[in-house]
Amino acid sequence: MRTTVVIAAAAVTIVLSGQALAQTPAASEARSRAVTGVVDVGARGTSGSGDEARYERYRDLRTGVFSHLVFGSADESRIWSAGAENVGYRNQEYVFRYAGGPVTLKGGFDSTPLNYSYLTSTPWRMDSPGVFSLDAAARGQVQGRVPGVVGVPSSVAQLSTPSIFRGLANPFDLRSRRDTASASVAVDATRALGWSLAFTSTGKTGSQPYGASFAFNNANELPLPIDHRTNDVSAGLEYTREQGMVRLGWQASWFTNAIQELIWDNPLRQTDTTPFDASGYSNGNGPARGRLAMAPSNHMAAVNVTGLYKMPGRTTVNGVFAFTTMGQNDTLIPWTINNAIANPSVYGTYPGLASLPRPTAEAKVHGVNGMVNVTSRPNRVFSLTTRYRFNDHRNLTPAFDARQYVRFDAAPYSGGSFSQNFNIRQNTFDTTAAFNLRPSSTLRVGYTFDDFDRTGRSFSDMRDHIVRASFDQMGNQWVTVRLSADHTTREGFGFSEASLEDGGLQPGVRFYDESDRNRNRGTALVVLTPASFMDVTFTATAGKDIYKGEGHEFGLLNNTNRSLNVGLNVSPGEHASFGFSIGREMFNSLQRSRNANPPGTDYGSWTDPNRTWDLTNDEQVNIVDVYVDLAKLFRAFDLRADYLYSDSDNGFVHSGPRVVALSTNAALTPGDSRPCTAGLTSCFEALPNVTNAWHRVTLDGTRYFTEKVGIGVSYWYERFDVTDFARVDLAGTALPRIDYLGEINTGYGNRPYRGSSIFTRLLYRF
Amino acid sequence: MGNHKSSHQSSNAAARAYWPAILVVALGVTWAGTVMLAAAPARPRQVSATPAATAPAAAQGAYAGQAACLGCHAEMDYKGTLHGLASRPRTPAATHGCESCHGPGQAHAESGEASLIRNPKKQTPQQASEACVSCHNRGTHALWTGSQHDQRNVGCITCHSVHTPKGPAQLKAASQKELCATCHRPVTNKQHRFSHMPVREGKLECSSCHNTHGSTNQSLLKTGTTVDESCTSCHAEKRGPYLWEHAPVANACVTCHDPHGSNNERMLAAKVPFLCQRCHVTSRHPPTVYDGFVRNNSTNANKIIGRGCVVCHSQIHGSNAPSGKSFLR
Repeated sequence: MRTTVVIAAAAVTIVLSGQALAQTPAASEARSRAVTGVVDVGARGTSGSGDEARYERYRDLRTGVFSHLVFGSADESRIWSAGAENVGYRNQEYVFRYAGGPVTLKGGFDSTPLNYSYLTSTPWRMDSPGVFSLDAAARGQVQGRVPGVVGVPSSVAQLSTPSIFRGLANPFDLRSRRDTASASVAVDATRALGWSLAFTSTGKTGSQPYGASFAFNNANELPLPIDHRTNDVSAGLEYTREQGMVRLGWQASWFTNAIQELIWDNPLRQTDTTPFDASGYSNGNGPARGRLAMAPSNHMAAVNVTGLYKMPGRTTVNGVFAFTTMGQNDTLIPWTINNAIANPSVYGTYPGLASLPRPTAEAKVHGVNGMVNVTSRPNRVFSLTTRYRFNDHRNLTPAFDARQYVRFDAAPYSGGSFSQNFNIRQNTFDTTAAFNLRPSSTLRVGYTFDDFDRTGRSFSDMRDHIVRASFDQMGNQWVTVRLSADHTTREGFGFSEASLEDGGLQPGVRFYDESDRNRNRGTALVVLTPASFMDVTFTATAGKDIYKGEGHEFGLLNNTNRSLNVGLNVSPGEHASFGFSIGREMFNSLQRSRNANPPGTDYGSWTDPNRTWDLTNDEQVNIVDVYVDLAKLFRAFDLRADYLYSDSDNGFVHSGPRVVALSTNAALTPGDSRPCTAGLTSCFEALPNVTNAWHRVTLDGTRYFTEKVGIGVSYWYERFDVTDFARVDLAGTALPRIDYLGEINTGYGNRPYRGSSIFTRLLYRF
Repeated sequence: MGNHKSSHQSSNAAARAYWPAILVVALGVTWAGTVMLAAAPARPRQVSATPAATAPAAAQGAYAGQAACLGCHAEMDYKGTLHGLASRPRTPAATHGCESCHGPGQAHAESGEASLIRNPKKQTPQQASEACVSCHNRGTHALWTGSQHDQRNVGCITCHSVHTPKGPAQLKAASQKELCATCHRPVTNKQHRFSHMPVREGKLECSSCHNTHGSTNQSLLKTGTTVDESCTSCHAEKRGPYLWEHAPVANACVTCHDPHGSNNERMLAAKVPFLCQRCHVTSRHPPTVYDGFVRNNSTNANKIIGRGCVVCHSQIHGSNAPSGKSFLR
């Protein structure tokens, strides 16, 4: 309806003004100190269906007034500009820039919303920031196992009865907003000396979906409130001469979180289980409330020196040395909020829980970074670029003694450990030699050696050897060619199987971010320019990672990616252009796992190869972009049209002996039990592909009736269709179901939408 | 058990430790020799043979003055741009006008001979860039020489136009994403995936994260010295340092996320729980086959729908709770 009104208003506007004679815009002469700009204001109407928050994901398209304002002035002594966008809305933006004499000033304010969903609801009520309560009577009925009352559904049979919490849920818009204010000044005090100062303050408010769970069968999702601010300051002092420069820089950042803990009621219990049940985290006999520690307030500071020096022989040296420190010392929350555990009677058995090892986090990291580039181009044929980079990330946080801790606020546990920090020291040496075969053709060969020393990982050291080659043909009016290929061999050293066993991992697992690996990648870009008004671009990329280390049995084993893209751009005249781009991307990966119990707990499933299974992930993405840009189509009429399409088809194919066993309910190894419950001949169902398709159409027409005055009409349309097994809807509807097996959630998910907006605009340029 | 590569490691440890240093020294000697041989005779030859190949500092000859230039090339006027700001001591307008970049032009003005004036379009990208970096050699441009783009023959005028820009910062395209797509189409295409940064909405642009002019970080990232420092410059709530750290978070956010866009929630590189299962092969629930049957019939469905593993391990970026060892609190 709202859209209809706006369309009608647009039509009336065009009809009333359509008979006006268009005047040929005269070329405006630059007028010294004259303020120029555009006032573009009008009405916007938006309508949609489905999960409309997705249509508005990072913007505010509510029906109302639209605004786009730009002002500026330029002459030989100073330039300034100012602008405003969508004034008064959740994505409003203001900018100001000034450059005059030795001074440059910049300032701005920007709001960026993140709209998660307008279909969400929750039975929890926020009593105060970060504290959520749930109807006590309902919890009491669930705890008392009142017949017919379903709390968190735990069986298929219970899914046919709405959870008692579904009826208590209140709808709300799940969204947050990031507001950023910034200001900076840079001054060229002399030709050689300059300084700069910048300040940015970013506040984020709203809510986001967040897990807040008690146990395997009681995993919940809440709208976590967000209220934090980050203040960043940077300053720099630079001294520049013809032969080089040196810069001293300082950056600091302070993050302050107003919400330091999340407390929420248990949907399965009104009171703590007293005394605590050691298995309470898995059967619901746990605490009445749970508590999470939220992101700690923290700070970061860095000092760096940047230098550049030009030497004889067209040789340049530049580099950076930086020292960084990060830290936080937030007060730690107690071991648990569960009073059935936090009492002296339990401390006799679990003395480690009587008090915290220390009251605050005392966490800090020091970083050192250095980089030197030497680039030498002594003649037209040969050049050499060499880089050395050093980066040290040293975590100085004292180990925290959590050998005894509390799981899910439900059960004390003695199988814990000290906290472990991750230190990373990286040395990188890189060199590239370039040979200019012709003035416009260059062949490069390069080598990189990357060495990582770490703590806390299964490989204490990993080293990358990268060889690469590239060829660039430029400067030819008909064709541009860019080709590159590289091969990486990664080797891990200092492997510790014990570190895997300490974490309960299969000894044959290797983490894909550190395991031995061969990587091959190639890219090709060819641009053909058969005529000055036309270009055709071909882009192709391919890459393959093979994880191949000794003993590597589980985890990610390989992945490949390929892409092809063809684009055409035609500009037959100064005022017209059109073109398209069509692309396809393909991704494939193979990972392996084993569904087994810990060593010694059964017949030996831990080492049973018939418990092994594979997953092949196969995704194909298509993308199309078509555009037409016709300026001055009918004298003073500009038309721009764009169509974008992107889709994805993502398959998940399980295979291997464990999947065979599930499919046939067979015990493949003597001693193993049948994987399915009695009465079933199979308990495996292949997952359907996750697919989506997104369309976007934008049309923008502008007509100036005088040199200064015009009107515009714009139309935006988006449609998103998606199928996703991770989303649960109420039967027969496209609305979210918040109560599903083992979970009470907000209903946030991957949902389809349609949205359209129309803008009628009055333009005044001066 | 233990170090399965110990023998291999010990036998080659010395070579592995020293051969990069040997390579550096060898290259350094090679380079130094080349420079010493080439430097002295090269510069005079370049000036006299082809003015277009020389750096601005080496340009010689008499200046014609900007009025003379604009007398023939009026369409090349740069008034109204930062280059035209005469009140700023380092700009072309405050120094030699057009000839600040194109070199002394009296000979060209008098003869009309095109070869007597420096025309960046006829130079190699690196040669053309030398004129630019003679002034743009500080701030965000300090590390240009030898940077990834510089090495690949992407010069200043590959992306910027002094005289006929179409976008902000005198870009040759209307926007950064349009410009960067010229070469990085597979990357810019990702902005149109279901889960994306606010690039297509115009709230972020490529330079929000990258400094295309050179950087001390990886992948030309603008801020910090590691990938995670770059990400946490905006996502400061994940900066920590936490009491309990998740190993890939301390290393690189891109282990799990694709910041350019993905078809998985939260820009994850793969769908949960399968992404987590690429590493977590422990016992019981992490390596469970999460298939359609589990999704439809079991309370383990809460590990495959919605947030997947993260509905319980919600503190996956790190926990500051004493009981946060498994990122549950």
